[in-house]
Amino acid sequence: MRDVETRPRRNEWFIIVAIILVSLPLILGFLLLILSSFSEDMITNLSPNSFRPTIENWINVFQGKLAITGGIRQNILKITFNTLIVALGVSGIVTLISTLAGYSLSRMKFQGRKLMMLLLLMLHAFPGVALIVGVYLFYRLTFPQDPSMVRLYSFFYVVLARAALEIPMSVWLMKGFFDTIPWEFEWSGIIDGASRIKVWRKIMLPLIKPGILAVALFGFLAGWQDLIYVRTFLIDKTLATFIEANIEAEYSHMPLIAAAGTLYLLPTIIFFLTAQQLLLQGYSGGIKG
Amino acid sequence: MKGKKLQTLSFFLSPMIIMVGLFYLIPLIFTIYISFTKMKNWNTEKYLSEVVGFYNYQRLFHMFQHDPMIKAILLTTVIFVGITLIINVLGGLLLALGTFFVNESSASAIRLLWLLPRMSPIAVYSLVWYYFFHGSDIGTLNSILMKLGAISTPIPWGQMTPWGAWSVIIFVNGLVGVSFGMIVFTSSLNQIPKELVIAARVDGASAWQISRRILIPLTKWHFLYVLTWQFLSLLTTYPHLFLLVEWDLVNRDYGTTLALYVFNTAFGRGEQDQGLAAAAAVILSIIGILGGLVTLKVLQFERMIHEPRGDIE
Repeated sequence: MRDVETRPRRNEWFIIVAIILVSLPLILGFLLLILSSFSEDMITNLSPNSFRPTIENWINVFQGKLAITGGIRQNILKITFNTLIVALGVSGIVTLISTLAGYSLSRMKFQGRKLMMLLLLMLHAFPGVALIVGVYLFYRLTFPQDPSMVRLYSFFYVVLARAALEIPMSVWLMKGFFDTIPWEFEWSGIIDGASRIKVWRKIMLPLIKPGILAVALFGFLAGWQDLIYVRTFLIDKTLATFIEANIEAEYSHMPLIAAAGTLYLLPTIIFFLTAQQLLLQGYSGGIKG
Repeated sequence: MKGKKLQTLSFFLSPMIIMVGLFYLIPLIFTIYISFTKMKNWNTEKYLSEVVGFYNYQRLFHMFQHDPMIKAILLTTVIFVGITLIINVLGGLLLALGTFFVNESSASAIRLLWLLPRMSPIAVYSLVWYYFFHGSDIGTLNSILMKLGAISTPIPWGQMTPWGAWSVIIFVNGLVGVSFGMIVFTSSLNQIPKELVIAARVDGASAWQISRRILIPLTKWHFLYVLTWQFLSLLTTYPHLFLLVEWDLVNRDYGTTLALYVFNTAFGRGEQDQGLAAAAAVILSIIGILGGLVTLKVLQFERMIHEPRGDIE
């Protein structure tokens, strides 16, 4: 955007300071959560006496010791693993489907293409809460008879149902990425006699890698952060339902929940540090359509 | 040739179409159907075939008129959507304008920071504000105010009805929604020809004058886009509210919007009434679809969709 060089420096600092001031609660909130996980007491009361550094919370979280005195144990590694399965599943399905559909919506002329894209936009805006009632009935009706299959099926179903929510936006996003690739690459393949499927696989896929990465990343985060679908459909626990269920623990255990929360936040932080440009680009690309 | 093209198209499109059919179309039909049954506590064996016509809708409209809880929920929905919408749109615009006038690396950092609410897990983000607004002395807001001497005992902010609860839910969701406007406005500001800004600068215009006279008038379309889109998304959002209510941070009646009411009625603790929930969901969907259609019409989205110009076949 870059305003020209003539812009006065003084104003720039004024704007930055103003924005930081407005952002202060946001920074403070996240910082206090992370710091509290390394402290014996919650430091959200901003009192320096509360901060006594320890890594005990983290050890307890990984050992699954919920109550300090009680014997309740939860296998947090298993819970983290469940969250990861959902996230990877959603990411994989969303990426595959949007890479396929995005290509044809960007590159092929066919009847109903415009309607299909408008419909996708509408679906994106559709109230998810209206769907979830029906999605749950569908789940009940397709429930397997064999009890040993139930847990597996709940994973399978939650991944598919959650991925479906991401599909309209991801298809638009992917279509946008395909739009940026010059036609010449494709023509050369088609003229040599390759089919569209072959062109897509051999020529387009390698060129669209950043787009695939962006969609995969958004899909991962969508599955990772989900609470509603996981708590409604999944029989096993994820980090979201773990935190949801344990918030009512007594005050003394709050730093423990803070540690679980920080653990849960970790992928977001990692993506922020390693894939900033992809995140920003992905968001603007997806919204520009 | 025709058959081959159809084959190719189905290769690319059928996975998407199957997913949309399974998880949008069928559930939508199911939801509409449930709204005409007496479904309770997901007892499908007993109630799935018991069709009661418009009974649930009548019940709902009766509650709209007479039930104080539903009245509180409707009022909360209107206040929540209205005020949060203003915060989202104006906040997004201000952030986009602000980052327009600072150097690229600071601008990226600011944008990333404001993406954090949207990108962090719902449970963690809600946890952050749970501690911030907590009604005891571990709550950050309480301890700040106590240190400043403004209050002497901790105040359970979210339980103060109605404005305490409203403020908390508006604040929490307001920060999430700002990033959408910010990103859209940023990309729209980037499309404005640089010559306009340069010319104004040479003439000695300030950042404020450039914003008001050039940038804001040229982002009208995007303003409308963010306004309508964000309206729809606020009307139907509920995951953050769900946690804040469940954790007792905010008052149940004045922290619940219509979308959350649907969810809690269908899946919440205690007696579940899916028939009623589905009826409310259908009404919400009608508002959503109408809003979506108006958005598409007003913004003329179909103009944005170009034919693929280079297709040879």
